[in-house]
Amino acid sequence: MPTATPSRGFAVRAWLRANTGPLIVVGLLALLPFAVALIDGQPLAEVLANQPGQAKFIQGLMIEVFILAIFALSYDLIFGITGLLSFGHAMFFAVGAYLSGIMIKSFGWSLAPTLGLLAVVAVVQALLFSVVLPRVQGVTFALVTLGIAEVFHIVIQSRELVGYTGADVGLQGVIPPAFLSPAAQRLRFYFVALGLAVLVYLLCRRFVDSPTGRVCIATRENENRALMLGYNTFYFKLTAMIISSLLASLAGFLHMLYQPIVSPGIASLSYTVNALLMVLVGGMGTLSGAPIGAAILRLLTFYFDKWFGQSSGFILGMVYVALVLFLPYGIVGTWKLRRFAWRSGWARLAQPLRPPSRDGERL
Amino acid sequence: METLRRNRTLLITLAILAFLLFTAIQGLSTRDWVITLLRGISVGAITFLVASGLSLIFGLLDVLNLAHGTLFMIGAYVGWTTYLRPDTLVDLLPPVLLLAAGLLLGPFWAALVGRWRTSRTVSRAWPWAALILAVALATLVFAQWPLARWDPAVAAQSPATYSLQLDQAIKAGQARAAPAPAAQGGLLRLAGAFLGSALLALGLAGFSAARYGGAGKVTGAPRRWALGALLLVTGVGIYTGDAALTRFLFGLDTAWLFLIALLVALVTGAALGALMEITLIRPLYTRPIYQLMLTLGLGVSGIELVQAIWGRTEFNMPKPALFQGSGAGCPATSIVDWLANGCSTIDVLGGRIRTYNELFVILIGVIVLVAVSVLLQRSRLGMIIRAGVQDSEMVEALGINVRQVFTLVFALGAALATLGGIIAAPSMGLSPLMGESLLLAALIALAIGGLTSFPGAAAGSLLVGLVQQFIIKYGQIGIRLPFLEQPFKPTPPLVPASTVLLMVIILLVLPQGLFGRKE
Repeated sequence: MPTATPSRGFAVRAWLRANTGPLIVVGLLALLPFAVALIDGQPLAEVLANQPGQAKFIQGLMIEVFILAIFALSYDLIFGITGLLSFGHAMFFAVGAYLSGIMIKSFGWSLAPTLGLLAVVAVVQALLFSVVLPRVQGVTFALVTLGIAEVFHIVIQSRELVGYTGADVGLQGVIPPAFLSPAAQRLRFYFVALGLAVLVYLLCRRFVDSPTGRVCIATRENENRALMLGYNTFYFKLTAMIISSLLASLAGFLHMLYQPIVSPGIASLSYTVNALLMVLVGGMGTLSGAPIGAAILRLLTFYFDKWFGQSSGFILGMVYVALVLFLPYGIVGTWKLRRFAWRSGWARLAQPLRPPSRDGERL
Repeated sequence: METLRRNRTLLITLAILAFLLFTAIQGLSTRDWVITLLRGISVGAITFLVASGLSLIFGLLDVLNLAHGTLFMIGAYVGWTTYLRPDTLVDLLPPVLLLAAGLLLGPFWAALVGRWRTSRTVSRAWPWAALILAVALATLVFAQWPLARWDPAVAAQSPATYSLQLDQAIKAGQARAAPAPAAQGGLLRLAGAFLGSALLALGLAGFSAARYGGAGKVTGAPRRWALGALLLVTGVGIYTGDAALTRFLFGLDTAWLFLIALLVALVTGAALGALMEITLIRPLYTRPIYQLMLTLGLGVSGIELVQAIWGRTEFNMPKPALFQGSGAGCPATSIVDWLANGCSTIDVLGGRIRTYNELFVILIGVIVLVAVSVLLQRSRLGMIIRAGVQDSEMVEALGINVRQVFTLVFALGAALATLGGIIAAPSMGLSPLMGESLLLAALIALAIGGLTSFPGAAAGSLLVGLVQQFIIKYGQIGIRLPFLEQPFKPTPPLVPASTVLLMVIILLVLPQGLFGRKE
């Protein structure tokens, strides 16, 4: 069709214009390892050959940020978008890490069947969480999910399964495939993690913009009204839960590949709280806030530990309190609110310059 | 008949629980089950002290206070300090009292400032000047405040050493020698503390006047003056009698000192709770999820602060002499016998019950349960609280200052948590992370009992304590199951898992908990 080509080109250009900011961020992240090397005075060839140095170290830190960003996005999907407060989200992540790790280490599976099994198990655990949804809501749902996750946390720490899980030491000795080894092929791992994070973000965006995602938002805003309109909200919550579980398991899988030891702490309540904090810092329900929150939290924790040593926890706690008081809706949320004020401010400034419209009114 | 049918699920659940308890008792000898029961109730009592405050706060304010475990821990540490180093308390009291007295001037400043007309710039600038002056004065005074302190980094001056010294002194039946009093700072410095806080109050009044306009007339003025004067006089009095008071406190019997520690922990908790509610929680009632994040941040910061002052290592708190005796006439055979000799254990049915862990803790738990129930059921304040739990907007519409009640309830909840901390300290020991596991247990207890129900908090805590202790007991002796050769022994991780599982099952059967009401 001759007419389709220009309109598709127009759509692509419109999409590019609407997403300039995120695209620039992704571009900068892709250039980051090389930029760090340039600042540090390391030849670029060494970066490409994965020689140790500041660039490799920064890559490692950013890989953790990307993994956490996927995790935070998956939490934003059920908490920020659908409005389900779950305290058991860390279990999704931990299942991803432990199941794939055990499959590779103890049963010698390769990556593809492991990922397939992981997807099946992720759906099953999402169903397990959702089974209770019709009965319990709100804080009670949070506590039930906390209970289920806490049982899982205790199971992976128990001495009976030490041969598989490593009990309280953690899962170790998983050999990642050579083409994706975090030590020898870090740059490749970096781009894989970055690519997956971008992909997950686009997927979440697509989900939120789809009719299903709209109903999820309606469920968050007013469940009774959504029910009145004829939507069986349970199925929409279930969909969000399954997608979220799949993404969190993917993040756990990457975590297992990247970390030499998978500690059982990733199944604990504090890890869920981490995800909650990332989403809150970024702005709940904004999607783009989740990766930003993940980056801020991971980098703050790392550099505070480096600069302040033992008192870093205190300062981090105070930063949370300050963020709650001064950025009331998270970074992205507050920015979205203020943006209109700023825009109208510029418009007001430019008003005298504008020619009066035909009716003599000023806009 | 109708009530029976409506509560069918609840009754069946309770019957099953009673049956399980009965079965658990059948498997043990009389001596064992009595002791296990008492231990369970004791653990339940400490859990209850945390859970009751959580439940009151959550019911009325809709705030899930995740800093409650930290408050519990702070109560233990503050109580420990009062109990082992009363000289620190004596040194700290005067400036704190004077600070409070100075802050009480706030409303008068506000009324005064309201009458003072100045230009916009001046009225914006001077509060800052007052604030900076106040902070400067405070640093000047407090940087050199004569304070008896300890040093966690030096072994001879660490908290653990002081605990050991007191323990030995109690065992030997001697009074401790009071440490040399810190040098007096002079009354000028004391006046500086008062002046600083008065200036701070002035600055704050200025800020609120610049923002919201001046206050009208002052309410409750005579009472306020009297309270301020009382605080002032007490502060100065303690300051002048510092050395004598320290000597007196060190000479006191440890039981009395422990009682003082309880009171200090209670007051600290109430003050901290009120401060938290007024300054941090109050602006966030419209954003409940962010309150969660705030209390979480406060909890983490509190733990780090305690680690900075008292050190990271765990240490013990020696029990008062009344619960420590092991000499003639011990173990006691009856309560009267115990009170006369101060034994650490009582003989019951051939087994030994520790008087502190298994009797005193339960006693405190029962006292708090009765006291708070009476407060809730029989007083006007309790009526407002119960009404507020159901519908706080309606209560406000009836012309009751709900915000004030919010602060009171938050202070009460925090005070219960700190009381729990000091009660638990002699049996659990002190560590900066002691509050975290208790917070989880209290949350589970609340979920079991019904989130906003006060009797539910008591029942849930009791259940959590009993399940934990029976599982531990059966972990030692093993359960004989019909189809297994070896007796099945629950491993230690099963203790937390069992309570969590109990919670999940009960919530799935009764989503509102045992005693919660349907909304």
